[in-house]
Amino acid sequence: MAELQLKSVEKTYGGGFKAVHGIDLTVAEGEFMVLVGPSGCAKSTTLRMIAGLETITGGEIRIGDRLVNDVVPGKRGIAMVFQNYALYPHMKVRSNLSFGLRLKRRPKQEIAGATGDVSRVLEIEELLERLPKQLSGGQAQRVAVGRALIKQPEVFLFDEPLSNLDAKLRASMRVRITDLHKRLRAEGRPATVVYVTHDQVEAMTMGDRICVMREGHIMQVADPTTLYQRPANAFVAGFIGMPEMNLVDAVLTTQDVPHLTVGDQTISIETGLADRLSLTEGPVKLGIRPQHLQLLTPGSDNALQGEVTAVEFLGHEINVHLRAADADFVAVVPSDHLDAMPRRGDRVAVKPTGAKVHLFDRYSEENISLG
Amino acid sequence: MTSSVDFNTGRVVRGDEPATAIDIKLRRRRLVSSVLRYSVLTIVGLVMLYPLIWLIGASFKTNAEIFASPSFWPDQPTLSGYINGWETSTPYTFARFFWNTFLIITPKVIGTAISCTLVAYGFARFDFPGKKILFATVIATLLLPNVVTRIPQYLLFRDIGWLDSFLPLWVPSAVAGDAFFVFMLIQFLRAIPRDMEEAARVDGANTLQTLVYIVVPLLMPAIISVCLFQFMWTMNDFLGPLIYISSVENYPVSLALKLSIDTTEAFDWNQILAMSVLTLAPSLVVFFIAQKYFIEGISTGGVKG
Amino acid sequence: MGGDSRYLGYFYVAPYVAGLLLFTAFPFVASFYLSFTDYDLLSSPKWTGLDNYTKLLTRDRTFERSLSVTLLYVFLTVPIKLVFALLIAVILNYRLKAINLFRTAYYVPSILGGSIAIAVLWRYIFAEAGLVNMILGAVGIEPINWFGDPQNALITITMLRCWQFGSAMVIFLAALQSVDKSLYEAASIDGANHWHLFRYITLPLITPVIFFNLIMQTVQAFQEFNGPYIITGGGPLKSTYLLPLYIYDKAFKSFDMGYASAIAWVLFVIIMVLTVVAFWSSRKWVYYAGDRRS
Repeated sequence: MAELQLKSVEKTYGGGFKAVHGIDLTVAEGEFMVLVGPSGCAKSTTLRMIAGLETITGGEIRIGDRLVNDVVPGKRGIAMVFQNYALYPHMKVRSNLSFGLRLKRRPKQEIAGATGDVSRVLEIEELLERLPKQLSGGQAQRVAVGRALIKQPEVFLFDEPLSNLDAKLRASMRVRITDLHKRLRAEGRPATVVYVTHDQVEAMTMGDRICVMREGHIMQVADPTTLYQRPANAFVAGFIGMPEMNLVDAVLTTQDVPHLTVGDQTISIETGLADRLSLTEGPVKLGIRPQHLQLLTPGSDNALQGEVTAVEFLGHEINVHLRAADADFVAVVPSDHLDAMPRRGDRVAVKPTGAKVHLFDRYSEENISLG
Repeated sequence: MTSSVDFNTGRVVRGDEPATAIDIKLRRRRLVSSVLRYSVLTIVGLVMLYPLIWLIGASFKTNAEIFASPSFWPDQPTLSGYINGWETSTPYTFARFFWNTFLIITPKVIGTAISCTLVAYGFARFDFPGKKILFATVIATLLLPNVVTRIPQYLLFRDIGWLDSFLPLWVPSAVAGDAFFVFMLIQFLRAIPRDMEEAARVDGANTLQTLVYIVVPLLMPAIISVCLFQFMWTMNDFLGPLIYISSVENYPVSLALKLSIDTTEAFDWNQILAMSVLTLAPSLVVFFIAQKYFIEGISTGGVKG
Repeated sequence: MGGDSRYLGYFYVAPYVAGLLLFTAFPFVASFYLSFTDYDLLSSPKWTGLDNYTKLLTRDRTFERSLSVTLLYVFLTVPIKLVFALLIAVILNYRLKAINLFRTAYYVPSILGGSIAIAVLWRYIFAEAGLVNMILGAVGIEPINWFGDPQNALITITMLRCWQFGSAMVIFLAALQSVDKSLYEAASIDGANHWHLFRYITLPLITPVIFFNLIMQTVQAFQEFNGPYIITGGGPLKSTYLLPLYIYDKAFKSFDMGYASAIAWVLFVIIMVLTVVAFWSSRKWVYYAGDRRS
C-alpha cells in the first residue's frame, strides 16, 4: 500500500488540446479518493495517466516514492477495474483472475492459494469454472474486482465500475466495495483507492475524500461533509447535493445586515451570514440548498414572493418548484410539514435559512461566505 | 528496463530521464516506429504491385524492349501492342469479345442481385417449416467444392441444348445459385433492425412492398458489394466459358486471351500484354470507384461469418 | 407477423430451392452415379461398379502424381498465405494515416489474380528471359529455369496464389480492429508485454476468423485451375498437374466422364475429410465470441 502523489500533472493531446491542466493531488496511504465530475472533466484521463494507459505530458506521478511517469502499467503496482469489466472473454473466471500471476510465472501453489483467497472474499467461488459471457453484470464486476485484488497492488483504480449496472445492483455493489475497503483496512492491509465516477451519490457515500473536477481542473478536494457544507465555489456547490443547490443571481449590499436583491425584490439575512462574508457589496450568486429554503404564507415579511410552478410528491418529501423575483427555485419540504399539498399557481413566499446561505462571487464563482 | 506503453500509438517508450526530456524522446520513438512500419509496408506493397505496374508499362513497349530490361517505363512508347492485339488472328476483334463478356455479365449481375436479395430476405425475416435444413444447405453449398457438380451440370445443359450459349454461365446465378452472396446478404440483414419494416407493415405494406421500399434501400451497400464481386469474378471466369463455349464468335475475353497465346508461335508479347491490360481494366476501374463497398463487404462477410 | 401465412417465406426462397435442386442437388447425386459408370457421351452410361475407383486408386500413376502435387500445393500455399496475411494485417493494424492506401494496394492482386491476364503475365514473368530472371540477374544470381525444371514449376503457381493474400488480409484486419481495446489495457496492467498481448489476447480472439479463412482457402486451393492450366499446362512432367486439371482433361478432352466423375469424388472426399477434421479440431482452439460482456 502506498501514497499516491500527482504534482502539476498535465495532459496535452497531439492536436494541441489540453485536457488536464496542472493538477496537484495527494492520496494518503489507505485512503479512498473519489474523482467526480461531469463528462469531459478529464477524471478518466487522470485515472488513466495514473495507470499508465495515457502518457503524461507534464508533471510527475509518484506511487510510494517512486516516479512512475515512464513505467509500464504492468510494473507500476497498480490494478484497475474497468467500466465494461474487460474480462478476457476466452478464459474462464479462474484464468482471468490468475492471468497476471501466470505471466509472472509464480509457483502453481501460490497462484491456487491467491485465487482461492480472492474468490472467497468476493464470494465468486462457484463461478471459477465459468466463462465471462455466462456471468451476470454483478458477478462479472465482482470478478473484475477480484482480478484487481489478487495482484495486491499499491493503488487500486476504478473507472466508473458501476455505470453498467442497474440501480439496485449499483446500490449493493457500492456497499460491497466500501465494505471491502474497510475490511482490508481492519486486516492491516489498507488499500489506496482512486475511484472515478460521474455519480455524486456514489462519490458522497464511498469516498474518504472527494476530488471534484471540471474541464481538467480540480475544483475542490475535501471530505464529503466539507464539500457539502463548505463548497469552495459555485460549481462544487451545484454539483454536490440532490436536488441541486439553487443558484441565483443577486446583488449584495450591507447595512448592518447583508441585504440581497433578487430581481426586483430585496430581503435581508439577519442571522449567520455577516461574520462569514469576505466581501461586502457587489454582484453575487446566491446559493441555497432546496432543503434550507422555507416555504411561508404568501405575503410574509422579508421573504421572496412568488408562485408555484410544479410539485413533485416523493412520499416522504415534496419538491416544490417555484418562480420568484424572476428566478426559478426548488424547495424540498418534508410531507408532514405541510397541511395541504401546494398546487400549481398557488402564491407562495420563500425565505432562506440565514445560517445556510452561500454567496459566490459572480465572476470568480468563489465562495465568499465561508468565513 | 523501464518503459511505458503509449496507447495512442501503441508504442513502447523507453526512458529513465526526468519528465522534461520525455517529449523529445517520445516523438523520436514514435517516428522511428512509424518509419519502420511504413518501410516494411511500402516495400512489400511495391513488390506486390510491381508485376502490375510492369504489365501496364510493358503493354506500351515494343516486343524487343520487353525483353531488354526489367524496368516498367517504355523508352519508346507505342500503341502497336494495343492496335495489333485488338485485331487478333480471328475474324473478330476484341470488341466482339468484350461484347460477349458484357452479354454474360449483365444478366448475371442483375439476376444475382435480385435473386439473392429475395432469398436472403426470405431466410432472414421469415420462419417456415424446413428453414433450418434449407439454411444448412446454403452453408453446405458454400463449402461445397463445385468440382463435383461440374460434369453433370455440363450434361444437363447439353441435354437442354444450352451448349455454346451464354445461358449456362448466368442462369444458375440468377436463381441465387451463388451461396456466398446469399450468405453475405443474410448476415447484413441480420444486422439491420426490423423496426422500420414493422412500421411499414403496420402502415399496410405487404412483405414485397416492405422489401422493395424499405429493406432494399437499407441493404443497398451490401447489394452493391454483391454486384461488384460478381462483376469481377465473372470477368475472371475461365473454366465456365472453357467448358460451355465452343465457337470463337461467342468467346468472352478470358477465352479470347487464351486464344491469343495459343495461336501465336513466337509470342507477340506486347499484343498479349496489351490485351491483358484491357481485360483487367474494367475490374480495376470498377474496384477503384467502389472501393468502400468492397472492403466493407468482404470484412463483414468474413468476420461475422 | 400476425396474419402472414406460415408459408410466405417459401415464396422468397423459391428461386433458391429451384436452383438448388436443379443445379446443385441433382448434379451432385448424378455425379456420384456417374462415377460408377463408363460414359463417353456417345452411348448411354454403362454400369461398371467399382472399376473406376479401383483403377484410380491402384493402377493410375497419373492420379498418384496429380494427387501428391495437389496436396503439396495446398499444404504449401494455405499456411504461407494465411501467415503472411495475418502478419501484414498485424503490421497494418495501427493508427497509420495511409492504412487505407496499403489495404487497397494489397487487395488489388486478389481481385485480378484469378484472371487469365494475370496467368499470362506470370508466364512471362517466370520465362527464361522474363522479369524475375532479369531482376535476379541484376543481383548477380544465375537465371533459373522455372518452367523447364519440375522442381521449380510448382513454385511459380504457389507464388501466384500467395500473391493474392490481400483478401484474407482484409478479413484479418477487420477482425483485429474489432478486438476490444480495454482488453489490451487490462492485460497490460496485468503485466503483459507486446508478445503476451498478441499470444494471449489477440490470437485467441481472432481464432474464429482464422478458422473461417483456413477453411475457405483450403477449399479454394484444392480447386485451383486457371493458373496451372495457362502457365504451365500441368507440366513439366506433370509437376503442376493439379487434380482439377486431370479431371478437366479426362472429362472434356478424353470424354471419359465416368472416370472423371470418380476422380472428382475422390477429390471431394479428401476436401470434406479435411474440412470435417478442421471443424472437429476447432472445438479445441477456436473461441467463439459471446454476446454479453468481455
